[in-house]
Amino acid sequence: MEKIKQNPIVKKIGINRIVLCIVLVLMYAIFCMLSDKFVGVQRIMSALNYAYFLGFLSLGVTFVIATGGIDFSIGPVMFCSALISGYCLTSYGVPLVFSLLISVLVGFLFGVFNGYFVAYWTVPPFIISMASMNIAKGLASVFTKTQSVSWPQSADANGWYRSFIKVGNFPVGLVIFLVFAVLCSILLNQTKAGRYILSLGSNKEAVRLSGVNIKKWEMLAYVICGTLVGIAAIFYVAAYTTVQPGYGDQYNNEAIAGCVMGGTSMAGGLASISGTVIGVFIIALLQEGILALGFSKDYQLIITGIIVIVAVYADVVTRRRKN
Amino acid sequence: MGDIILTMKDIDKSFPGVHALDHVNFEVRKGEVHALMGENGAGKSTLMKVLTGIYTKDSGSIIFEGKEVEFHNTREAQDAGIVIVHQELNMLGHLTVAQNIFIGREFKKGIRIDDKKMNEEAAKLFERLHIDIDPTETMSNLTVGKQQMCEIAKAISHEAKVIIFDEPSAALTESEIEELFKIIRDLRKQQLGIVYISHRMDEIKVITDRVTVMRDGGYVGTLITNECTKDDIINMMVGRVIYEDPKTESAVPKNAPVVLKVEHLNAGRMVQDVSFELRKGEILGFSGLMGAGRTETARAIFGADPKTGGNIYINGEKVEINTPQDAVKCGIGYLSEDRKRFGIVVQKSVAENSTMASMENFIKGLFINKAKENKVAQEYVESLATKTPGVDQLVVNLSGGNQQKVVIAKWLIRNCDILIFDEPTRGIDVGAKNEIYKLMNRLAEEGKSIIMISSEMTEILRMSDRIVVMCEGRKTGEIDISEASQEIIMNMATREI
Repeated sequence: MEKIKQNPIVKKIGINRIVLCIVLVLMYAIFCMLSDKFVGVQRIMSALNYAYFLGFLSLGVTFVIATGGIDFSIGPVMFCSALISGYCLTSYGVPLVFSLLISVLVGFLFGVFNGYFVAYWTVPPFIISMASMNIAKGLASVFTKTQSVSWPQSADANGWYRSFIKVGNFPVGLVIFLVFAVLCSILLNQTKAGRYILSLGSNKEAVRLSGVNIKKWEMLAYVICGTLVGIAAIFYVAAYTTVQPGYGDQYNNEAIAGCVMGGTSMAGGLASISGTVIGVFIIALLQEGILALGFSKDYQLIITGIIVIVAVYADVVTRRRKN
Repeated sequence: MGDIILTMKDIDKSFPGVHALDHVNFEVRKGEVHALMGENGAGKSTLMKVLTGIYTKDSGSIIFEGKEVEFHNTREAQDAGIVIVHQELNMLGHLTVAQNIFIGREFKKGIRIDDKKMNEEAAKLFERLHIDIDPTETMSNLTVGKQQMCEIAKAISHEAKVIIFDEPSAALTESEIEELFKIIRDLRKQQLGIVYISHRMDEIKVITDRVTVMRDGGYVGTLITNECTKDDIINMMVGRVIYEDPKTESAVPKNAPVVLKVEHLNAGRMVQDVSFELRKGEILGFSGLMGAGRTETARAIFGADPKTGGNIYINGEKVEINTPQDAVKCGIGYLSEDRKRFGIVVQKSVAENSTMASMENFIKGLFINKAKENKVAQEYVESLATKTPGVDQLVVNLSGGNQQKVVIAKWLIRNCDILIFDEPTRGIDVGAKNEIYKLMNRLAEEGKSIIMISSEMTEILRMSDRIVVMCEGRKTGEIDISEASQEIIMNMATREI
């Protein structure tokens, strides 16, 4: 085992991510063995639909967790984005392109809101994101008069946005998601913004005393998160069409689970985008597998809960060992 | 000295990339004070961590009271009778002295905690140690020195047979150190084995019976303290004779321009109406007892804490400094006494920490120019002689002195002209200390201006061109090095206002 760990290739990719990949493949194999319905492209496409929007949520929250913060508003904000922009599209006749932009804008504004209070007013992220979760839910309900919103089908006049997800059987969504993941990875690891976001997650005071405007960079993490959540909303409706006000909380846990499983530390300062991507695929596959095996969605909640605990525990243990 | 109570034989320990302990031997006898010395990174702390079960050894054996032992955590070591008194105190400020001492093993009366019994037991302990502390006092009301006494009492209450003092005197005043030594002599009389880790050569001569020296993770040798000189020990530690010559007169020309002028600075209770000037190329020593307000003054100048009044002029121009960002823009760099909290970002590499304050010089388009970053960081690793396997090493893996150098590199790369060094050599061994001294002299010669806050009188007298003395938040004196002496400074530092 030690020998494997010292291998340069393994070191570069990270043992954690290799293990996750193996878990992913094993999970798929097990699901295929348990249910012959699972074999085939259809299921994979369906799991991918789930992975796209969840992936954007997870990428977003990775930035926030990297600062040592947390955001429990991402799921409801995604729904809020989808509802407000969808209502604009269907009830006010706003052109599709602008509706999509509104979706991103709503997410962005929630990011600004959360980030401002966390960074400039030093409100604990836990509190502010709980509050904005309720605001997002309430706002969406008020805006849509508690009606659910159905986005256009692919055959409809405004249905072309669905090709963000697939054209025929080609998974366009996967390509877009991976491109965004690469961009996020570059942002986090090769730019000043990412450097400061990770550093202040590790030791905020030391970064402040280096003459860095930590407020600005901390807020930026939330803004990046919010924007990605706005994009997630587009991928959600492109896959599932209808959005109901008042929901979205369960995706918080799934997104955070994907992120933490991938090796991002809840204590801040350490984050891995590639880990997050694999983590998201695992959660999406799990969800698809549980449905395919005929269990209800509730089991997935239980399993995601357990995953969060295990992943966070693993993080705590590795950190303790390092100290 | 009595029988051997503890033997560590051929202890070997490696971390990825570092051979931290290379077959080290160490023994403690009953009723002796055994000093463990070595430069930062020599492996002293690692050895003690292996002993108390924080680290697992790769090979070798620990024999305690005639039996081979292996502890898996500090609790097990404690139960066996081996206790560490840490440099950083692990006390809960809001609890009483007695509650702190018996934390985790409180006396109970039914399900209620029996505070009365704990107070009595604590009082008995203090009596045994001849310490004058009220067990019902809230911990945060005590001075650092008294808190340390409580920590020692706590160790004793564990029926300790071996007590390890990890730099106990670092935060103490002279009189508190005297008191500490009295206690240690007492413990020695009671036939306890005592390990004393310190960087202060004078103390070693005063308090210890034997000295074991380590270097680069290896065992160098053990001497009887009475039979060796300071230089013997230092030579074993570093293999060369050290220390810059002390200054006898200011090296600053009379007509050197004033680069920093502070007027009537106020910031809370700890900084009251402080005014002084700093000249180009000068090392201005800030002396005083702990809690005199020196660090607070520095932090207020640097914008780390809010100030309530006063003016700051840089090169004759009035500047507004409200945040560290403003200060850095004005060319001020601050090196904190507590580098772990305020200096370094542990999960980042040497290179990343070095460029933390000057990122904008390492940006190419949208991206960080890592090649340039590594190159510049490497230059400073070489010029400051920082011991690290490479610039991509995480700073968490470096020893204290080397971490300090990384922080210094951070400000040098930022090209700051005014440097505030707050206890720059705290917790740093003689070898590294002298390197820092040399570095400070070199920087001053190059025209940088340095404010050096130090609690070590010898350091103040060795390094400063001029000395400002503070007491209880006020400036109580200012004196040129040519006229300064320990007595004069001490007098100023304790003057009633």
